[in-house]
Amino acid sequence: MTTRLPVGIRVLAAVAFSFVFVPLVSLLWRVPWSRLADLLTTETITDALLLSILSSVAAALLALLLGVPLALQLSRMAGLMASTVRAIVILPMILPPVVGGAALLFAFGRKGVIGSLVEDLLGLVFPYTVSGVVLANTFVALPFVVITVEGALRALDPRYELAASSLGAHRSRLTFRVVLPMVKPALIAGGVIAWARALGEFGATITFAGNIQGKTQTLPLAVFVALESDREAALAMSVVLMSVSLIVLISLRDRWWPVR
Amino acid sequence: MSGPSSRLLDARVVLQRGDLSLDVELAVQNGETVAVMGPNGAGKTTLLYALLGWLPLQSGWIMLDTKTFEAPGQDEVTPTYDRKLGMVFQDGLLFPHLTAMENIRFGAGKTEDLSHLIETLDLHSFIDNHPAQLSAGQTQRVALARTLAARPQMVLLDEPLSALDIAARSDARHLLQEALQQNVAGALLVTHDPSDAFALAQKILILEGGRVTQFGTADQIRSQPKSRWVADLIGWNVFEGIGETSSVILPNGVQVATAGLELAGKTTVMISPSSVALFVERPSGSPRNSWLCRVRQVERLDGLARVTLAGPVDLYADVTPDAVNDLDLVPGKEIWATVKATEVLAHPKLSPRS
Repeated sequence: MTTRLPVGIRVLAAVAFSFVFVPLVSLLWRVPWSRLADLLTTETITDALLLSILSSVAAALLALLLGVPLALQLSRMAGLMASTVRAIVILPMILPPVVGGAALLFAFGRKGVIGSLVEDLLGLVFPYTVSGVVLANTFVALPFVVITVEGALRALDPRYELAASSLGAHRSRLTFRVVLPMVKPALIAGGVIAWARALGEFGATITFAGNIQGKTQTLPLAVFVALESDREAALAMSVVLMSVSLIVLISLRDRWWPVR
Repeated sequence: MSGPSSRLLDARVVLQRGDLSLDVELAVQNGETVAVMGPNGAGKTTLLYALLGWLPLQSGWIMLDTKTFEAPGQDEVTPTYDRKLGMVFQDGLLFPHLTAMENIRFGAGKTEDLSHLIETLDLHSFIDNHPAQLSAGQTQRVALARTLAARPQMVLLDEPLSALDIAARSDARHLLQEALQQNVAGALLVTHDPSDAFALAQKILILEGGRVTQFGTADQIRSQPKSRWVADLIGWNVFEGIGETSSVILPNGVQVATAGLELAGKTTVMISPSSVALFVERPSGSPRNSWLCRVRQVERLDGLARVTLAGPVDLYADVTPDAVNDLDLVPGKEIWATVKATEVLAHPKLSPRS
C-alpha cells in the first residue's frame, strides 16, 4: 500500500494543480458556447487550424527524423564535447523564440547562408511560406526529442548491445532491431512533446514566417490577432487548441511519458 | 578437422580497468569446458568482455581455432559480431521487446532449423511469451538457446545458473551440459559454485586480483589448493603466519610443521579436514603437529562426520561415523588432533591487489 504524503506536500500539490487548472476553466467560462460553431467555421479560423495541425505534425516528424540520430550520436559521446553539443542543441528551449526566429532568418532567409543556397538549388523559399512555418516549429521542437531520447538511450543497459553483437548483429541490425525498439516509449514521448511544443509555437513562427492570414497564420497567431479585434473568436480558438491537445494526451494514456 | 586435444582458444589478456589490472593467459582445448572461479572483483567478467572484444586489450593476443582476433602487430581487431563467441549473461539479458522465439531467432540464420534446440531445452510451453512472463529458469534456458542458435564456436557463460534456486539448479546443470556437448566446441564458464565447476568443467582456472593463481583439473584443485581462497572454497583449514624454513609460526605462537622447505615472510598454511587425525591419548612418537583440542560441534554429512575443534589451532576434521562413536566425540570432549607435516601445504601469501 502507498502511504499518505505529509499534509503540507498534499496542499502544495493541490495548489500546483489549481494553478494550472483554474486559468483554463476561467477561459472556458467566457466562451460563447452557443455561437461556437459559427465562430469556428469562419475562413480565418479553419485556415489557421488546418495549417497548425499540418505544420505541427510535420515538425514533430521532422524533429524525430533528425533528433533521433543526434540523440544516438550524443549518447555515445562523453566529456566536454558531449556537454557542449548538448548545450547548443538545448538552447532553443531556453532562448526567447523571437531570437530563434531571427537566427533562422539569418541562416535560412533569402539572403541567409543556407537560404540563398537552397533557393538557388531547389527553388525553395522559407521566410513567409508554409515550409518556413514547419522549419520554425522544428527548430523549437527538436531539443525535446533529443533530450528525451538521449536520456532513454543512456539509461539502456549497454550489455544489450554486447548481447546483440555477440549474436552476430552488425551496426544497423543492432540499431534498428535492438536499440530503437527498446527506447520506443521515449520515441513516442519525444514525438508527442515535440508536436505539443510545435502546436503552441508563436515567437519563432511570427518572426521567421510572418503572420499572413491563409498562408502562414497558425492558430496561436490567429488567437493573438483576434484578442485585439474579436475576443469571442479568440476564445473559440483557444477552446479548440485546448481540446485537441487534451484529447491527444489523454488518448495516449500516458504512453507519451514514461510513467511506470 | 581438429583432433580431440587440439587447442580451441589461446589467449593472453592484459588490460587495466579501474582498479583492476588483469593479466591472464589461458587455453581451452577442443571439447573442453573450463570453469573460471575467484573472489568478487577478481576480473572474471572483465576477462569474458575482453575475449568478446568489448574491452580493448593493452597487450596480449586472442586466437580462436585458426583465427586471430587480436595480436601484437595486427592492426585490424576482429569486431565482436565476427568472433563466433557466444555469451550467456547472468540475468539472461533477453531482448524485452521480443518473444522467446524471436529472441532465439535473433542470431540464427533465416532458414536455420531450431526445433532440435527447442526440444533439448524444452522451450515449447513458453516459446511465444515475452521475457517479462518467464521465470528465472525459463529465461536462462531461452538465453542459452539464443546463444547456441547463433552457432558460436565457443560460448562464454557468466554465472548462468546463479539466478536459479537450488532445486532448479541440478536439472539446469544437466541441460547445460547436454546443450554444450551437442552444440559447441568449447566453453568458458564463470561460476561462484564449486559444484557447477566440478560437474561441468574439465579444468578450473582460479583468478584472484587479476592473476591466475591456479589452473588445473578438479582433482588437482581439491588436493593441492594453491591459495587461501581455493582452500576456503573447498572447505580446508586455512591459517596465516610467518614462515621459518619448514615451519610456520601462527600469530598466537603455535608452530606448524609443513611440507614446505624454504619458507619466509607471510605464509598461508592449508590443511585438508581429512588429514586431521583424532586420538583420545596423546599419540606416541609425538608427531610434530599434535594439539590438545576441545570438540565444539559434530555434524554428520553423507558418509562422514565433520568435527569442529577449538584449541591452539581451530580445526575442522573429517572422520568416519564409526570414529565418532569409537572416540565418543561429543561437544566439550578433549581430544588430540594431529596432522602429518607432509600433509600441511604452505604457500607464500599472495599480496592482495586492489
